[in-house]
Amino acid sequence: MAKLSLMFEEKTVKEVPVGTRPVSIGRSPDNDLPVDNLAVSNYHARVYFEGGRLVVEDLDSLNGTFVNDLRVERATLHDGDSIWIGKHHIKVDASGDAPVPWDTGRKASAPRINETMVLDTKARREMLQQAAATGERVQFAAGRLKVPTLVVVGGRTDQKEYMLTNKLTVIGKSAMATVKVKGWFKPAIAAQINQRDDGYYIGPGDKMPTVNGVPITGPVRLNDGDVIEISGVRMNFIFRE
Amino acid sequence: MRIVSGGVTDVGRVRTNNEDCFRIVESLDLFVLADGMGGEAHGEVASALAVETIVKSCMDPGVDAGATLVGNSEPTWSEKTKRLTSAVHRANKNIYDAAEANPEQHGMGATLTAAWIDGSKLSIAHVGDSRAYLLRSGNLQQLTSDHSLVAEQVRRGILTAAEAEESEMQSVLLRALGALPDIEVDTDEHVLFARDIVMLCCDGLTRMVTEPEIAGTLQAEIDPTKAAEKLIALANERGGVDNITVIVVRVGAESRGWFSWLFGGARKRAARNGAAGGS
Repeated sequence: MAKLSLMFEEKTVKEVPVGTRPVSIGRSPDNDLPVDNLAVSNYHARVYFEGGRLVVEDLDSLNGTFVNDLRVERATLHDGDSIWIGKHHIKVDASGDAPVPWDTGRKASAPRINETMVLDTKARREMLQQAAATGERVQFAAGRLKVPTLVVVGGRTDQKEYMLTNKLTVIGKSAMATVKVKGWFKPAIAAQINQRDDGYYIGPGDKMPTVNGVPITGPVRLNDGDVIEISGVRMNFIFRE
Repeated sequence: MRIVSGGVTDVGRVRTNNEDCFRIVESLDLFVLADGMGGEAHGEVASALAVETIVKSCMDPGVDAGATLVGNSEPTWSEKTKRLTSAVHRANKNIYDAAEANPEQHGMGATLTAAWIDGSKLSIAHVGDSRAYLLRSGNLQQLTSDHSLVAEQVRRGILTAAEAEESEMQSVLLRALGALPDIEVDTDEHVLFARDIVMLCCDGLTRMVTEPEIAGTLQAEIDPTKAAEKLIALANERGGVDNITVIVVRVGAESRGWFSWLFGGARKRAARNGAAGGS
């Protein structure tokens, strides 16, 4: 039989089995699994079996129900899942019935919702709002207008300074390169700087650049102040406000 | 720029129908890929409608007689970029209207990733979680952003990339063609260099095969169609849980000077023997 264990930090506070009747979770003491914390709504969530699957349903709680860090309104539970309610979490032990086993393989486990779906506007807004609240700190850091800039400190190039406004930047002799390197026997693409979701990465072209004196073979994330050397050109990577 | 391309689609190992659709228009250097959704046969309807609308709008400028560009466009964009973006808006509307008109098709939709090459300029238009990649000097760079919930959570710093790969919410999209009457299209322009490889693929590939494996296959296999086939075989080996579609586009060296005059003939003969590609 499936079992729910209410945990606070690493300690088990209470255990309840899930049978045919739903298990109610909330701050009010008449719940099957009372959770004594102000962040928990009086009737916060419930867990029950439906068609052989163990399901958790949020009862419009103020602070939400999370399954493995993801806020849910309703979700199928699997053995080993954690339901987070406030600072408490509830460990799901469904090993007894093992109705919906997880594939543990990294790649094999990928598509758990088989059908692709699009969130409608309301659901999307809610999910993004929630996401925004959690990610606020990160958003602000990225929100300040900082333009990544290459400042040439040595060697011959067509400009002294380049603002990296495109997703892809090529450093080389090619007429189409953003940073045009001058001189004989310079490679068409000496190196490249690409923008990714989490920052700017320098990668090799026909030559291997060095970042702060260290040669790089694959893409390396650039940090404010890094010194790049390639094909006789020395540049400083900085973020300009 | 000399362009060689090939594309392959496969139903995978789990599904019984293929909801993906792609088209290579060699005369235009236009490449379009769509991944349909909506159950029954409606995903196929949506993806086919998306691809057909894009190809038609891009082939026949008359459809888009100058002023009738749909959606927002940046003044700096090239004519082709504008036309491609407009075509995606049009495809969205066509799918939405079709779904509204036929109740049984309600909820159908499609992702769309399109690339149009004009000389050394690459225009990309994109909605959904299919992807465009650029392989340049051994570096594989994703050109598009996934419009999925997990990708958005990674961008906002809520999930790590590794957690996103494990998430059961991977199939939840924030944007797709046909879901709403109006849509935001991601548009980008890039400069292409000789020896660049552009790849379009649906999530059936990227959920099964890692980026280093994609980069390795594209570098090892010169023939675009064979490269696409190898990537699909790899995805199927891993389980092939979804339909898989891959388009590979290789940008050749600029033909000029006595060197290419000397070898041009041999190259032409080799190209004629290669697979034609396209559907």
